[in-house]
This record gives sequence, structure tokens and C-alpha cells, in this order.
Amino acid sequence: MSSLLSLSNLRITFDTPRGQLAAVRGVDLEILAGESLGVVGESGSGKTVLSRASMGLLTMSTAHRSGTVVFDGQDLSTASREAVRDTWGTGMAMIFQDPMTALNPVRRIGSQLSEGLRVRLGMSRKEAKKRSIELLQLVRIPDPEKALRKFPNQLSGGMRQRVMIAIALACNPKLLFADEPTTALDVTVQAQILQLLSDLRQELDMSMVLVTHDLGVVAGHTDKIAVMYAGEVVEYAETKELFANVRMPYTEALLNSIPRLDQKSSGRMAVIEGRLPDPTQPEPGCAFASRCPYVQEKCQVEHPELQKADNGHQFRCHFPLGVAR
Amino acid sequence: MKFKQLGIFSKASVIWLGIVMFMVVFGQWIPLPKPTNFDIDAMGVGLFDSLKHPLGTDSNGYDLLSNVIRGARPSMLISLISVGIGGLIGSTLGIISAYKRGKLDYIVNTLFNIVLSVPALVLGLALVAVLATNPDPNIEVPTSRRVIVIILSLTIVIIPILGRIARGATLSWSNREFVVAARSMGMKDSQIIMKHIVPNVLPAIYAVAFLAIGVVIVVEGSLSLLGVGIVDGVSWGSMIARVRGDLEYAPHSMIVPVVVLALTVIACNQLGDVLRSQLDSREGRL
Repeated sequence: MSSLLSLSNLRITFDTPRGQLAAVRGVDLEILAGESLGVVGESGSGKTVLSRASMGLLTMSTAHRSGTVVFDGQDLSTASREAVRDTWGTGMAMIFQDPMTALNPVRRIGSQLSEGLRVRLGMSRKEAKKRSIELLQLVRIPDPEKALRKFPNQLSGGMRQRVMIAIALACNPKLLFADEPTTALDVTVQAQILQLLSDLRQELDMSMVLVTHDLGVVAGHTDKIAVMYAGEVVEYAETKELFANVRMPYTEALLNSIPRLDQKSSGRMAVIEGRLPDPTQPEPGCAFASRCPYVQEKCQVEHPELQKADNGHQFRCHFPLGVAR
Repeated sequence: MKFKQLGIFSKASVIWLGIVMFMVVFGQWIPLPKPTNFDIDAMGVGLFDSLKHPLGTDSNGYDLLSNVIRGARPSMLISLISVGIGGLIGSTLGIISAYKRGKLDYIVNTLFNIVLSVPALVLGLALVAVLATNPDPNIEVPTSRRVIVIILSLTIVIIPILGRIARGATLSWSNREFVVAARSMGMKDSQIIMKHIVPNVLPAIYAVAFLAIGVVIVVEGSLSLLGVGIVDGVSWGSMIARVRGDLEYAPHSMIVPVVVLALTVIACNQLGDVLRSQLDSREGRL
């Protein structure tokens, strides 16, 4: 399979009153055509910034990007604004976290849905309407003709997220970023939306990057998983391999903090003690050192490099789990 | 929103503004004594005293009703034109600068603040003094020139008022995720502004524009009262100015234009409020 998107040494920093905030610190990732990648990490680990920066959506003057982003053979880090914009919608598209704020409240679903079709694909009003109905059918919205005339507030949360997916899919993107697509929804709807995304990905032969803080979400729906911590990829492997052989203590801690039915309900929930390091104050050692249960002296002083095992399993730890230490 | 659903005050406002607009358009064809003819047999006729002069006459015998009707056109047209032009320029500047941010925003906002810091009356006085007066007091300045200068000064007053409203609303709306979403679909900035920002910002602009019409009517009246308005005593403000010496003997000749002016301003404010609450609530209305 060919590489669709490849990030190399991607760094994103923001100017803040407290100094340079490093949100993404040197990420290398590769997404193959037709592949789905889950990006997992806690709040503030740089997941959203990573996905927006890969698309080039961070345009505020305080954001700085270095490193390269190559999409479909085109280097986006050196391309002109217009060239980057041409890849949006038709090449890469994004589904946003909160479907309430990501839809314009004063415009009907139909006009928001056909907007991309008419502007980017140059469809006529009639063609765009026909395609909009098809798209709404694709995302399993009942009675699509009626839904076209509704305002976002007349739809439920799940329906709105389906509309967002339909808008993102409108121009047949090759790569779909789903930025926490289920966080604003309740659990039963979450499962439906995730299943829908999985099905659509196979139907339309897209690649997908699923950004989430929930390992349970990515488990059944992605080919590979990248775990992020403090702006770095700390573990990267095929989904099955990752769950079978966790190497990074942080991933283990994440897995342990998923509530289980067989646990005593009266006990304390498992948590990862401590908090993310201050992203404006880079530390010399491992970013997870202050919270790691297996921390040793070396972790405090030396920054671990990303190690690569034979089966493609990558991890960023001096003393990985499952290896004699 | 249908007329029936409006409250009693809003209904009255709609009706009143309808009457005023009728006076603006058809006023000159209403069969009444000519506003410029004085009735020498009926000077200072009180309110409702005579069938011939329903609202009475002032101390010179001018019919008040026909004067009020004739005054509607300059008063309303001056305020509608200046709010229209000023609103268009102001909101365009405000929306673009708030969307682009950075230096442009800083410059535009500073200009707005500078203009806002000059009181409307002072600006109007200064502009009329500079642009619409002749050094030789014997040569009359044409009325049309005065009208244009007054409209110009009121437009300058309106630009920053509506501009700042548009800027503020755009700042909050352009941070919404649907703007990022539209960009992520490859829309151009101009398309995003026209299709996503403007429809959301318009309610706030409409509401304040209605309030601004009221403000401008008052400012135009004040300019006339100070003697720099339209000289021939045709607008409501200049009617008030003309009769202010008669307040002792014929108070109604001042009360009539004052009440008409006040009702118009109140009606504009009322409708501005209704419009805003109506257009604004679409997001929350289920």
C-alpha cells in the first residue's frame, strides 16, 4: 500500500504569555491508503493540534509549524495557501468534536451540505441537492428530503453528527480526520456513529485518523494505534499487537484506568496520578517520568528515543514492559 | 413572526411607523392647507379647536398638521439614508477587520474609537461650518448642499457605532467551529464571510440600526434646533427650532412636533428590540 499522509518531525509551538508552548514535539507518523489510525491520549496531549496541523488548519499568527507534511505526494509545508486549500474537502476532510458548534445555527442542513458540493465540485443546484440526499442516505438519516430543510437545532445530537459526517464525506476525501467524533454524544449513539464510520470507511475506501481519549473507542475500529503523551508519540503499533504486548507504561496506565464491570464498585477508580508536564517548560528526561510507577534514575535525566521492534511496534521508553529490566 | 403575535407596544410601533412612512411617501398629496401658507384669521389656534386646522396653528398661523406631515420626509430620509450608508460601510469594515484580525483590525478599531470620541453634535456643527457655509453671509448656501453635509456628518457618526457592533459579533462568531469546518472543506475566506459570518451577524446589526435611526432623528433635530440643520424649517427638528420662542403663548405648536418625533424614536427602539430578540433566538428555539 502506498503512503497517503506522512508527517516527519512535525513540531507545533504556540506563543503564549508564559513563553513557547510546545503542543506537538517532533511527531513522525505515516498513514497508508485505506488504513485507519487511532490517535489516543489524555486531554492536552496534542491530539487535536496534531490533526489540525496535519491539515494546515492552524492559521493563527501565534502558531508555528516546523517539519514536513506530505499528503498524496505533495509537500504541504512548502505549498502555497491555495494549493493547501485545494486539498481540503476533496483530499482531506475533518469531522469535528461538537456537532452543535460545528454547524452554522442559522442555515438549513441542505444549504450547508450542498455548499461544499457546489463550491468545490462545481455542481449545479439540482445536482447538489440530489447528491445531498444520497449523502444523507449514506449516513443513515431517515427521510433525507425533510432533513435538508431543517435547521441544526431541530436535529438530535446523533443526527447532527451524522450530518457533519455527510458534510465531510461530500467531496469524497481520501483521508478523513475524525476529531473525537463521539465525545459529545451518549454511549449508545457513540457505538452507532463509530460503526457508521467503520462501515463508510470500507464502503468508500478511505483512510481515517480517529482521534480520541478512549482506548475502547479505537480498539475495534482501527488498524493501528498511536498513543500520544505530552506532544509526542510514545507508542505505535498495530491494534492487536498493542493490546497484546503493551510496552509503554503510559499505555498500561491508560488501560488500567478504564472502569471494569468486574471491579468492586465501592473501591476507588484507577487513575493516573499527577498531571501532564507544563508544555512551556521542557524537561530533560522522559515526559512521563513524574507519573510513572516504574520510574528509575535514567528516566529523569535522559530523554528516551523511539525504539522500533521487528514487528513494527514502536515505543518511547528506557525500560519497556515485558522486557527483563 | 406575524403581526398578530406582537405585543401591544410593538403593534402600536408598527402602526405608527407605517403612518410616518405613509407621510413620507404620500404626504404632499394629502388635501390639507399648504404648510407654507399662513392663515391670518387663525393664528395660534389650539389643539383640536378648529376643523380646518385639526392640530391647531402656531403663532404665525401655519397649519401644524400639514407641517408635521411635510417634516416627515426630510427627517426620515436623512436618518434612513445615513444609517443605511453608514451601516453598510461600518459593518463591512467591522466584519472584514474582525475576520482578518491583526494589523487591519487594530487600525480599523482605532479609527472607530477616534470617531466615537467626537460627540455627534460637535462633528455635525464643525462639518456644516466648514463645508456648508459661505464666507459671504449675503450668499445663501443651497439647501441641497446642507442636506448632503448633514447626511455626511450623520453617516460618519453611524459608521463606528454599527462597525463596532459588527466587529464584536464577528469576533465571537468567527471563533465558532463551523467556520473552521467550512475552511476544512476548502471554502474561501470571502465565501465563509458571506455565507457563514454575515447571516449570524445581521440580527445584531439590524437591531442596533433601528436604535440608530432613533438616535439620528434626534441628532438631526438637535442640529436644526442649533440653527445648522435644514434652514427652511421643514424637518421636525427645525419646526421645534422655529416655534421655541412661542412656548409661552402657544405651547401646543412645540408639543406637536416634539410628540411626533418622540413617538417615532420610541417606535424605532421598540422594533429594534423585537427584531433582535426574534432573530437572535433561532439557535435556542426548539
